[in-house]
Amino acid sequence: MGRVAEEDERAFSELVRRYQGRITNLISRVLNDRECADDLAQEVFIRVFVHRRNYRRGSKLSTWVFTIAANLAKNEIRRRVRRRNWFSLDALQEVLHDSTSVLADPTEGRERTLEREQLQGEVGRAIATIPEKYRMSLVLRDIEGLAYEDIAVVLGIPGGTVRSRINRARSMLKRKLQPLMRKEAP
Amino acid sequence: MTNCSQAKRLFGDFWDDEVTQAEREWLENHFSACRTCRREYDELARALELAGSLPRHEASPDLLERVLARTRRVAPAPDRVSAPAARWVPATAAAALLLVTAAVVSPWLGLSPGRMGTGSARLETPRQPELVGTQVNVTTSPKSGDADAPPSASLFTDDGTVPDSLFDHRDDIEFILDPVTLNRGRRV
Repeated sequence: MGRVAEEDERAFSELVRRYQGRITNLISRVLNDRECADDLAQEVFIRVFVHRRNYRRGSKLSTWVFTIAANLAKNEIRRRVRRRNWFSLDALQEVLHDSTSVLADPTEGRERTLEREQLQGEVGRAIATIPEKYRMSLVLRDIEGLAYEDIAVVLGIPGGTVRSRINRARSMLKRKLQPLMRKEAP
Repeated sequence: MTNCSQAKRLFGDFWDDEVTQAEREWLENHFSACRTCRREYDELARALELAGSLPRHEASPDLLERVLARTRRVAPAPDRVSAPAARWVPATAAAALLLVTAAVVSPWLGLSPGRMGTGSARLETPRQPELVGTQVNVTTSPKSGDADAPPSASLFTDDGTVPDSLFDHRDDIEFILDPVTLNRGRRV
């Protein structure tokens, strides 16, 4: 990171290569939006570059990059919520689609054996319907595999709060996927 | 607290493999006795497996190029954190030292504060030059009919030496010579 701060383009390219996959995946899973994830990932690295001198040596580079990504993803979620509140009819349809036709009653009109892509789509949507503050913790922990301490740094909250949020998010995810799993089970 | 609620509190740590050996044995014993908790935990574990096994969304191949293209256009942002104080302290200290040195040395160089000052209180009206009249033996030889003509001063003094100047510069040189030396033997 020191070389990035000294305008070393090769070092910055290496940083982008190292984190672009994880950052894109994080944003994609938090937003459940593959297209937007790419644009936001680009924005993350632009911000890393612009604020490269604000990086404090000694702190973990990964948590700093993840912090920027998490903040941008949260901003995007809030922007969407505002837009959804404004266009309330669209929002209602989207919420109904998310909560009833896809997750709440997955037994209706579906084959017993779901294709893998369908299953993954369901799981992705289930994650996306978890409230944002729980969802972010869950994705950082159970998809990106960050340590609890690092998540606390990324989100700027105490370690105990991270644990309780992750426990709640896991319970929510389990409840959302329960119908699907019970259908799956023999 | 019932055994089941106590078991549920350990589900997360059990999944993260952050339970002690005693907790692990207790929970496994509980699972063998409580099918509900066993199923609850299995569903949690399955949900987390599904979440963890989602395919990773890779960055688009041209992401790096797009980022680099934009960073080349981005002007460097000014640091919001001010520069460390240590950078200007030495310069300020050097300037202060120079000023103190100048103040100490200036009397020895003959630069009195009165001459160096620029304030209006220090401004003095320029002293008109005075002829060295008393010592100079003015040999006037006015010609008749030329009474208004200025007297011509002889270049010789009483003791027969030639003065350096027709004007008395002793006060002037006081500023460039050591005042102690200059005042010694000076006529009051």
